[in-house]
Amino acid sequence: MSLIPALTGIWPWVALVAVPVGIVLLYFLKLRREPVEVPSTYLWSRTIEDLHVNSLLQRLRNSILLFLQLLAVLLAAFALFRPGVREDTSSLGRLVFLLDTSASMQAPAADSATPDPTTRFDRAKKLISERINTMHDDETAMLITFSDRAEVMQAFTSDRSRLRDALGRCEVTNRPTDILGALRAADGLANPRRTSEIADIGDVQVADALPAELLLYSDGGFQSVTEFKLGNLKPVYHAIGAPQTKNLAIASFSANRDLQDPTKIEAFATVVNSGDEPATAEASLFLEGRLVDAASVSLDPGDQSGLSFAVEAADAVRMRFSLDIKDDLSLDNTAYAALTPSGLVSVLVVTEGNRPLELGLTTEKANRIAVCEFVAPEFLETEAFAKRAAAGDDDLIIFDRCRPKKLPATNTFTIGELPSDEWEWTSPPGSLTLIDIDRTHPILRYLEMYSLLIFSGRGMDGPEGTSTLIESDLGAALAIAPRGGYRDLVLGFELVSQNDEGETQANTNWYAERSWPVFLLNVLRHLAGAASSSAAPSYQPGETVPVRLESAVRTVSLVRTGEEDTDTPLDEITVAEGGSVDVVQTSSPGNYQLVRKTTGESAAGVGNVVDRFAINLFDVQESRLSTKPDVELGYETVAAVDAGIQTRREYWRPLLLLALVVLLVEWWLYTRRLS
Amino acid sequence: MSNVTPAAADPSATSVASNDSGPLLTPALLQRLERLELVSRKIFRGRMKGERISRRKGQSVEFADFRNYVPGDDLRLIDWNLYARLDQLFLKLFQEEEDLHFYALIDTSASMNFGTPNKLRVAKQLAAALGYVGLCRGDRVSVQALGPAGRSAPVVRSRAALWKLLKYLDGLDAAPNQDVDANVSLHDGVKDFVLRGTSTGVVVLITDLMDKAGYESALRMLIGRQMDVFVLHVLSQEELDPPLRGDRRLIDVEDGDAAEITVNQHVIDRYQETLKAFLHQARQYCAQRSVMHVLVPTDTPIETVMTKYLRSRGVVR
Repeated sequence: MSLIPALTGIWPWVALVAVPVGIVLLYFLKLRREPVEVPSTYLWSRTIEDLHVNSLLQRLRNSILLFLQLLAVLLAAFALFRPGVREDTSSLGRLVFLLDTSASMQAPAADSATPDPTTRFDRAKKLISERINTMHDDETAMLITFSDRAEVMQAFTSDRSRLRDALGRCEVTNRPTDILGALRAADGLANPRRTSEIADIGDVQVADALPAELLLYSDGGFQSVTEFKLGNLKPVYHAIGAPQTKNLAIASFSANRDLQDPTKIEAFATVVNSGDEPATAEASLFLEGRLVDAASVSLDPGDQSGLSFAVEAADAVRMRFSLDIKDDLSLDNTAYAALTPSGLVSVLVVTEGNRPLELGLTTEKANRIAVCEFVAPEFLETEAFAKRAAAGDDDLIIFDRCRPKKLPATNTFTIGELPSDEWEWTSPPGSLTLIDIDRTHPILRYLEMYSLLIFSGRGMDGPEGTSTLIESDLGAALAIAPRGGYRDLVLGFELVSQNDEGETQANTNWYAERSWPVFLLNVLRHLAGAASSSAAPSYQPGETVPVRLESAVRTVSLVRTGEEDTDTPLDEITVAEGGSVDVVQTSSPGNYQLVRKTTGESAAGVGNVVDRFAINLFDVQESRLSTKPDVELGYETVAAVDAGIQTRREYWRPLLLLALVVLLVEWWLYTRRLS
Repeated sequence: MSNVTPAAADPSATSVASNDSGPLLTPALLQRLERLELVSRKIFRGRMKGERISRRKGQSVEFADFRNYVPGDDLRLIDWNLYARLDQLFLKLFQEEEDLHFYALIDTSASMNFGTPNKLRVAKQLAAALGYVGLCRGDRVSVQALGPAGRSAPVVRSRAALWKLLKYLDGLDAAPNQDVDANVSLHDGVKDFVLRGTSTGVVVLITDLMDKAGYESALRMLIGRQMDVFVLHVLSQEELDPPLRGDRRLIDVEDGDAAEITVNQHVIDRYQETLKAFLHQARQYCAQRSVMHVLVPTDTPIETVMTKYLRSRGVVR
């Protein structure tokens, strides 16, 4: 039997003690018996004479109301002490609660056969709450939650109410599990490190080791921890959940636009049965909220299956793949994929006049992916260009036989000229013969160029990191080099040149080749960024998503499209210098898009979307829901303990009920005596 | 004791109080009483000529005995028929018819001034009614209170003197509450009566018998005087069935004795048992000594008491 006083401070207790004292005083001070005249007390005396024989009983009988009132107050006071019985009282005095908040804790705590809606997370919170309630005054505890990262919700305290508040703040997440961070947070206290090197004689241990009880409330759905030593931590693993589960999970889902035919979208999905019983489900593919395809999946435990879909949709960009099944974890039944907008890229062409370039950049296919603006080299001297170059408004700038003073903050393609002083010619001008073409590079894919005739060109060499795409007998004829986050493509020969008379003449027959428009298309796709319209990357919930925006925007808003296929604006994000954005509000799975803030237009319009990404769980380990009977922490196998043994049986409720009953009896006696 | 409430305090008390102030005997009752006669289970010597057979021999139509003539006897009483037959002188004696002495003793202690209707008033009514019955039959009637007040009680013989009787009764008051000196105990009152009077007769003691010293000695004194004793035991409804409940402090109106008591049904049941035992004891005590004990609840109308109760118990006929 232990007591946990519910009142804090001295005055509530003083008031409590004053209540029975007050009752006794009131009893003695109360209005005395009402005097009544009777003809003779002769008969009355004889009546009570008999009663006086057992006078003690009579006295008790007279003050029974007082006794009952005192009894009721004492029972209530006793209830305030919260008497209870606890089985396990052994404690190191310090407790570290580790609460698993990963996605698998959303699964039901009980077996799938029992209709108990309590989730594992709620069960874990309840267990922790019960343990907090049973804490002694000399016990301190801290609360750490962990998913893929650890968070100290409450540092060491013996204040139970603060622990309860911290526990109330804990919420389950959609993230995968990594317990190591939480263990390290707990480890810092129990196993203090030395200040410096071990060999240092003057080194003293900074703090005494404080052994603590590590109470882990989890389903064990994490990797075995090996890079950790428990030391003074005494682990106790409370396994939450059931060993038998039913769960179908989507392990991967991706979609790509067919490069040949951009109207076609190919989608691939992998479905895993991570539960312990065979499961069958209908898998549905939604495009912009419309059901476009479906397939049936039937899997035995542990099996996995791949599904592929091919749908035609020219403008659709957001896809949702869902399994129509009611299993223990609904989070992994839906996957998202997005195709970045096959929107137009912006290309600035600085040229004195180049017909082949103009023709190649204005083909039907090129027009579909790029908007080209042609300006004269004089434009490079203007303030407008300087601003434009610094802002990075264009996705690609093509310098035809000219170069800017300072390279712009975007990708460039320089023709017949070196883009900066970091480049140099390695040979004098001469006729070029192509020797090697790097067809693995996306820019030169699908190209047949050996039949080219080049009348005048030079070999060149670029800064560090330059890769040669076309090797000629005079050196690199086409090379690409990284420049910060950008890339510079340099062509070592002119397409058209001017003779001494100023007449324009062809320097190569490339423009007459089929490979010319294909090359330009490749440049537009890969260098201007039009190619990335095929697929958007996918991240896990809670992960910070780094986004580089290619367009010059200052503020974007983050919009999420979830299960209902409705857009939910989440946040306004200011774009940092250089167009980089870190998106942190990625707690829920869904399709996310960054929308450029414009006035007067629809915020979520396709034209304003600057980037997309998808958030999916895609973690088979997390989808594997069956609770592990033991976990391995630092080469130490910790078996699950029975969660029920530490519960404290409290008696304040029956005590209060008893007090109420006593009060009722007292009232009944009182009214009966008065009547 | 201004805050002391009488146990009989109840809403009907005011109406009863108005009844208490009316005449003791109504004309209708008087008319009915004229037909009644006091019954004496013993034959007493009277003082004057009356309608009752006396123990004396005298002149009446009722033959009593013969005896030898002695010189000096009244020659008119000689039975000449016997002298002719036996040649001896015998006197023929007849029963004498004399008056009967009727005493009604009223207990005027403070305990009698209680109840609705008031016990003392009921006692007065009973005394007046019995006295009137006696007057109608030419008896010698003396209605008196126990104690000093009884010494000034009139002795009346004729119906015409009824007013004296009633006047005396009207002047009777109960002893003041909690005045121990003024309250005459049953024993003292009867002793005073017995010591004053020498004659015997019928005595009706109208009392509630609520005397802490006991009633036995008083009755013994009356019986010792060879009197035909009747006890009219007057009890109010409040005594027979107390309306008390709760925590009470009972105060005896005669001696101020207090008894703190928590009255509940259990105590009331015990009280009823005690009262029953008390009545049984009194009745048994009286029966063993040829004393007629009649319980008179005050809520019984006086006509009913006179014409039914007392008649059935042989007090009147």
